[in-house]
Amino acid sequence: MIAVQDLTKEFGTVTAVENISFSISESEIFGFLGPNGAGKTTTIRLLSTLIGPTSGSISIDGRDPGKDGSYIRSITGLLTETPGLYEKISAYANLDYFSSFYSIADDRRASNIERYLRMFGLWERRNDLAGTYSKGMKQKLALCRALIHEPKILFLDEPTAGLDPASAHMVRSFIESLKEDRITVFLCTHNLAEASSLSDRVCFIKRKIIRIATLDELQDRDKNKRVEIVFKEDAERYRDLLEGMDGIKGLDIRENTASVFVEDPDNTNPGMIRELIDNNIEILYINQIKASLEDIYLDLIKDEEVK
Amino acid sequence: MKNSFIIFRKEIREIIRNKNIWMPILIITLIFSIAMPLFLTLLSDSIFQDEDTVKFMEKVFGEVENPERVLVDFMTKQFLVFLLMIPAMVPSLIAPASVLMEKENNTLEPLLGTPIRTSELLMGKALTAMIPAFVISTINFLILTAVVDIAIYSKMGYLPLPTAEWIIVALILSPILSFILTMISVIVSSRSTDIRSAQGIGSVIILPIYLIIGLQIAGFFLINITYLLLACLVFFIFCPVLLRIAVRIFDRENILTRWKMKA
Repeated sequence: MIAVQDLTKEFGTVTAVENISFSISESEIFGFLGPNGAGKTTTIRLLSTLIGPTSGSISIDGRDPGKDGSYIRSITGLLTETPGLYEKISAYANLDYFSSFYSIADDRRASNIERYLRMFGLWERRNDLAGTYSKGMKQKLALCRALIHEPKILFLDEPTAGLDPASAHMVRSFIESLKEDRITVFLCTHNLAEASSLSDRVCFIKRKIIRIATLDELQDRDKNKRVEIVFKEDAERYRDLLEGMDGIKGLDIRENTASVFVEDPDNTNPGMIRELIDNNIEILYINQIKASLEDIYLDLIKDEEVK
Repeated sequence: MKNSFIIFRKEIREIIRNKNIWMPILIITLIFSIAMPLFLTLLSDSIFQDEDTVKFMEKVFGEVENPERVLVDFMTKQFLVFLLMIPAMVPSLIAPASVLMEKENNTLEPLLGTPIRTSELLMGKALTAMIPAFVISTINFLILTAVVDIAIYSKMGYLPLPTAEWIIVALILSPILSFILTMISVIVSSRSTDIRSAQGIGSVIILPIYLIIGLQIAGFFLINITYLLLACLVFFIFCPVLLRIAVRIFDRENILTRWKMKA
């Protein structure tokens, strides 16, 4: 659905994104992560044909944005970083205005406006000026606007920013449900929990692409894999035993819990557990601790800074 | 083109609701198209009792058979330059508001994210400034013509307006002037972040119009058909140049990366 090859964008002497390549399939949710100034918004603007690349190529639904910008914009929905609404006209008039630029029949347009306003709980206040809406309501209204023309691809820049927990949960569930409608989602977010719960794959960017993988792949390749062992007694008593075992990279002990960093859990864990049992050590629980996306993100960004 | 009219329709509604835009236009209409011509026509008798005015008349027109009629012709030419203020002023009030409203609301990015072409956006904005300018100028032209004709007919028994000069101003010079001022206002607005500063710069841009008015009132020259056609030609040459600059400024990438936006 989206294919990007060696894409570079320069603004004068500043390179915003450099040689990035990725492809996104239909109905995939693609999480796009990176620190401020990493080139996330520039990438969204390039993909949504708002700006042109300095070099490289983009293909959206098999079309070239340079030649078929209007077509691409007609099949994509864009949620910008700021809601960008006309504050002195009503919520309904905002949606009516923006949707009138798409080729949709008037009755379908009206029914879509009603459907999304109801879905996001804004129908009762449809005639209120958009300027009187709270930040969260504006964000929901902007999301309605991005969906009103039933796009095939959705570019979302921080979709839950400014939303209260209940609304954020509702928006996340909604994004997840878009898969059923075979909508492809390009999700730019700082919210790592959101990215890990929604995305089929995540892409880390810091001007260049650092890594693209599924969450499982990232966790498998994590260099800080660890096992948490909860002993019946103070874990400090077993420090020497654990440190002496093969395959153990490091140890972190707190009260009766030992976090054991292992190189290769599949090979190391069976031997380690057997040895502990052979030594008549009483164990309450053993848990495999998977790195969170946040841990992985911070590691990758730190590595990139060292480079 | 359809998209340009969608923009035009929405913006016109907002302009009608914005009294900061239509109030100055209404005041100018009342002063220059109704009050001033009425006042001058009704006071024409006392003008001829003033020695200095009679001397000025003789200096400008020499010895004439019917000084009152010459004065009427002179005054109608003076009103003509006031008529140019409307097509100059209206775009400089509307265009900055129309462009900067998008910046203040951060609506340019989502708007450009729709299938609209940037040329359609520019045309929509230009129509929003130019059509009211043309309509209001024409209304002023008709009001001023009616007021002067009624007043003069009641006193002197003839209808002095419209003249060829008036028709050239109303149908050729006014649209050209409103186009030029619209393009200049769009260009200025792209570099501003608030409506007042853009309108301030816009009012500086129309200073040459005031200069022409001042020079004519001071008797430096008198507008005639030759001057008007020459002005039409000169302004017309400027039109494609300004259009090209405006189109370049209204480039999608330019708008998003170089225009000064509200934070």
